[in-house]
Amino acid sequence: MADKNIDLGRLVIRAFNIKAVTWGDDNIVMPSGEMTISKKVLPDIISDMDAVESVDMRLIQPDEHDQFTNTILDIIPISTKALGAIGEGITHTLTGVCAMITAVDTDGKQCHEFGSTEGNLKEKVIFDRPGTPASGDVIISFDVILKSGMGQERKGPYQAHLICDRFLQIFREQMKGFDGKLCTERSEFHNIARPGKKRVVIIREVAGQGAMYDMQLFPHEPSGVEGGRSIIDMGNMPVFVTPNEYRDGILHSMQ
Amino acid sequence: MGVGPSAKETSLHHIRDPLLDLISADVDIDLLGIILFGSSDKFSEKILASTRAAIWAQGMRADGAVVFCEGSGNNHVDFANLLNQLGKRNIAAAGLTVMGKNGQPVVNNDYMGDVIDICKSSGSVEPCLLGQNNLAVTDCRKALAMLKLKMRKADRERGN
Amino acid sequence: MGIGPSTKETSMHHFRDPLLDVLANDEDIDLLGIILVGSPDGNADKILVGTRAAIWAQGMRADGVIMSADGWGNSHVDYANTCEQLGRRGIPAAGLAFNGKNGKFVVTNAYLDAIVDICKNEDGIESNVLGENNMTVTDCRKALAMLKLKMRKADRERGN
Repeated sequence: MADKNIDLGRLVIRAFNIKAVTWGDDNIVMPSGEMTISKKVLPDIISDMDAVESVDMRLIQPDEHDQFTNTILDIIPISTKALGAIGEGITHTLTGVCAMITAVDTDGKQCHEFGSTEGNLKEKVIFDRPGTPASGDVIISFDVILKSGMGQERKGPYQAHLICDRFLQIFREQMKGFDGKLCTERSEFHNIARPGKKRVVIIREVAGQGAMYDMQLFPHEPSGVEGGRSIIDMGNMPVFVTPNEYRDGILHSMQ
Repeated sequence: MGVGPSAKETSLHHIRDPLLDLISADVDIDLLGIILFGSSDKFSEKILASTRAAIWAQGMRADGAVVFCEGSGNNHVDFANLLNQLGKRNIAAAGLTVMGKNGQPVVNNDYMGDVIDICKSSGSVEPCLLGQNNLAVTDCRKALAMLKLKMRKADRERGN
Repeated sequence: MGIGPSTKETSMHHFRDPLLDVLANDEDIDLLGIILVGSPDGNADKILVGTRAAIWAQGMRADGVIMSADGWGNSHVDYANTCEQLGRRGIPAAGLAFNGKNGKFVVTNAYLDAIVDICKNEDGIESNVLGENNMTVTDCRKALAMLKLKMRKADRERGN
């Protein structure tokens, strides 16, 4: 029997390094590495959200970690599909920048259940881990104020994530059209079947208990929210994803 | 207890997951994929979802599973049941989770022996430090080595 | 259109399912299991869930799939997509579906080349007679024979 490897699919990730993130009149990202941020779309973004009191944004430059932050809900890569569905085709992603969501309610109650990271940012994050910003990254922070008690209800943290997702979509639409040749880094991943080798699965038990303790799956965009569905709404039952879907961001941590 | 800030995995973590990188790159392994299930707040759902995951792995004819549990405390109920259900089906498993001083498993069974503690903080309280108790490459290497040993042992026992 | 009385599968049908019997008792087949997938209302959901089923089958390293559907009309949208998703992943698929005269596929593609029409009604219609257009053992044997042919062809193409 011929036990040769079978290539089940390819994912290309093109990274565009962002050199400078500054405030500007519009939300614009350029493949050459300039990014400007404007808060003016925020009122529109939250206009249909009944759990959100208000939202503000901070740009945290690498030398500005010495500042207060509310509890951190998530750190999110800024990626979009340029071709194909999540897990296949081509993804455009930004390096040197990432998004962060923090949330507290109008009573000052932090949006957390088992421990909060509110405090001085530099003491509350171990930088340079897979799940945390690099020390040199610019952090675009979405600081959400939820209505009283909404930090402990599912829709509070969900809407906080949705604010960030809708905002990032403005950049994603621009990134889809980036000229691939201008990328600073290109990675290629293959789902490889190795017939005859030990068959192994990774089983991950993830959050499923409600409020911020949730996992969003199958969003429209990598690491996105919109279009996805919650593992709680699927009864917490197992779902299967391929290695490339996983590393392309087919899941979004809601906690 | 569930997932504290030091153990929680951000969306950024998932796209750079060291466990996936390590296993998918290993030429001795045919990585079938990743099964995700939620840890419910209801006991019956915990048992149902974790048992379905084991039955699924068996349907895939998996030789082995690396099982990761984000969090501790009541999450270890599902985790322990999953390891038990895999064990009963003769699927070799290596577990990874946060235990440390305050997260020792609240339940135990015959298959809980091969669990690697990924806790890196020394105190007995949740340090509330984002990323501190996340999976590190070394943890994943240990789990994979342990799994390979168990699969080899299972082979020997089956007379292969 | 969804499910009419003559095609609907009762709980009793599931309990004595001829498709399962035929496959489970064939010594040339390693039956991995049964994947159940709902046929939702919305088109986007139809495409999503059927595609997940095909990705799952690929993760299971399935050499072949027999696809059945309870119902017709808009249910065939999911059905055709799932067959296509399997085909595009190189997984041979045969199937069982109600076509007759009034259940012709509303969409079609290149991967619906091995589908057994389970219509028994002479006029090819939904007759409102319970059980009339259910699959029978003969239908299932036909589908399995077609699947075996397709799997053999796939083997030859891969040079095994």
